Amino acid sequence: MEEKKIRIGFYALTSCYGCQLQLAMMDELLQLLPRAEIVCWYMLERDSYEDEPVDIAFIEGSVSTEEEVELVKRIRENAKIVVAVGSCAVQGGVQSWEKDKSLEELWKTVYGDGKVKFEPKMAEPVENYIKVDYRIYGCPPEKKDFLYAIGTFLVGSWPEDIDYPVCVECRLKGHPCILIEKGEPCLGPITRAGCDARCPGFGVACIGCRGAIGYDVAWFDSLARTFKEKGLTKEEILERMKMFNAYNPKLEEMVEKIFQEVEE
Amino acid sequence: MKNLYLPITVDHIARVEGKGGAEIIVGDEGVKEVRLNIIEGPRFFEAITIGKKLDEALAVYPRICSFCSAAHKLTAVEAAEKAIGFEPREEIQALREVLYIGDMIESHALHLYLLVLPDYLGYSNPLKMVDEYRKEIGIALDLKNLGSWMMDELGARAIHQENVVLGGFGKLPGRATLEKMKRRLQEALPKAEYTFELFSKLEQYEEVEGPITHLAVKPRGDLYGIYGDHIKASDGNEFPSEDYKEHIREFVVEHSFAKHSHYHGEPFMVGAISRVVNNAPLLYGRAKELYKSHRELLRPTNPFANNLAQALELVYFTERAIDLIDEALAKWPIRPRDEVEMRDGFGVSTTEAPRGILVYALQVKDGRVAYADIITPTAFNLAMMEVHVRMMAEKHYNDDPERLKYLAEMVVRAYDPCISCSVHVARL
Repeated sequence: MEEKKIRIGFYALTSCYGCQLQLAMMDELLQLLPRAEIVCWYMLERDSYEDEPVDIAFIEGSVSTEEEVELVKRIRENAKIVVAVGSCAVQGGVQSWEKDKSLEELWKTVYGDGKVKFEPKMAEPVENYIKVDYRIYGCPPEKKDFLYAIGTFLVGSWPEDIDYPVCVECRLKGHPCILIEKGEPCLGPITRAGCDARCPGFGVACIGCRGAIGYDVAWFDSLARTFKEKGLTKEEILERMKMFNAYNPKLEEMVEKIFQEVEE
Repeated sequence: MKNLYLPITVDHIARVEGKGGAEIIVGDEGVKEVRLNIIEGPRFFEAITIGKKLDEALAVYPRICSFCSAAHKLTAVEAAEKAIGFEPREEIQALREVLYIGDMIESHALHLYLLVLPDYLGYSNPLKMVDEYRKEIGIALDLKNLGSWMMDELGARAIHQENVVLGGFGKLPGRATLEKMKRRLQEALPKAEYTFELFSKLEQYEEVEGPITHLAVKPRGDLYGIYGDHIKASDGNEFPSEDYKEHIREFVVEHSFAKHSHYHGEPFMVGAISRVVNNAPLLYGRAKELYKSHRELLRPTNPFANNLAQALELVYFTERAIDLIDEALAKWPIRPRDEVEMRDGFGVSTTEAPRGILVYALQVKDGRVAYADIITPTAFNLAMMEVHVRMMAEKHYNDDPERLKYLAEMVVRAYDPCISCSVHVARL
């Protein structure tokens, strides 16, 4: 008897298409094919159907137009499991870096008085509109993130989130500490691990592309204190932490705390 | 006059990077209007990086596009370094170009085999080709893997390369890795040549045959390549990159989040075929021979020739990367990074991304971005792309709409559009 194929859809909102590219580039994808049916994946499949029922919906990109708001709602209705893929879908992506500015201001800077017939909006994470069942982090996610997630789905299990920071992996690898030894604003201490401390391994400070660690254990305040001791202003700290975390509900409050303490 | 025809629309053009559709409106007297709707949301990259620290902005710019993130990174870094008055050492420049070539090889291989070839072979997606075209899929994966591995080693990863920093690299691979890279490139050469042979046999539709003005960067050092400080047009005109605004005008069109561009008031083309048209005399090695023997197919009058031009570049850049690695190895050991001093200034970098000219103009003040203008190849190409889709539609509007849609999509795909790139979007 032939096994029933799992129906998957890959949907793109506004993004660089890197998460899809990462998945499309994986040779391992070919091994998945006998067990999966691609219902929608415009980047690779001409016969794609956005409104068909699927078992797993992978969504990359941030919600950035009114049309995309409608699209994510339709995807949710048609999918058993919704997976937000990559920093745009999970955290709003780099295009949310200036989310506190008005859309009009950003629009004017770029388009002047020009008008477009579609309706733009400020980039937001998918979760602001629909329930998300699972998240794959990163900008882009590592290949092993996809393998782990898809593998566990295929055996009927559930992938787990990582709850420790990039620093843990960095220490295990034995890289010199960019924050302490070089004084650079490395976001390793608050960023969700899983990249094997890739950038610090190349001597480059972490920019936090996997987002802050969940479970309320992102220590924005203690890292802010360290940054402050190294001479960064509150604005500089917030700017850096917001690159991939602009929507984090804890960030402002906790960084704020450090600077209030001093004034008292 | 009543028009009872429904528009022929492709809501979402498949197998391109980003979201866009095509709309062809036919009236009683033929094709009335052709629009490429760019529906991917706006991303405001210039607006969000203004006022930001230079290194942080440089980490964000590559996120404009995954298919050409190395191109964005390297072009942005060059513009920034020009702005602050820093010039990287020759060997660092050579290795950056090797990284850029990694992007070129990966991007061309993906475009040709996964996005273009399925149309010609009658498949809706490349994964379905695996059983019957094992050799071709194998070559696609080998070339793609080579390109991504080069970016892993030199850029820290294949998408969004954090290892390129102001002043050089965070860290360089060891000599043994570079020697291995050279060997792998040598092994890839026959596969690149096979790709060229394969694509030289595919049809280039004469419906879209006509004059095209091609723009490409004039390469530095008189060798066909990626970096240059002047732009050359096929009409014989040549101008310094900094003067790009005097020759190329950008404007907003209401059906697209990406702007359109005109060169001296007319649509124009950039990309692999434009590079070949303008810079073929600068080719050398095996690619030069292939160019000579296939000149007829690499003609400037047909956008489908862009596919074959990409295949030619797979051969050329594979050989070129070997020579650049030799240049770097001759200076071994190499210090990865120099100290840079933050100074105020303005810098323009124009490079050849896989899809054509990429412009970054950055003003730096007090270590922060004071002005940013980015124009991507797809934004340059959109107006010309519409012209060619219209030409195709004018010949086929009476055919089965499905056939017309297919052909229109193929025209768009020949351009290898990078729609995510095009909506970043450029500042007025």
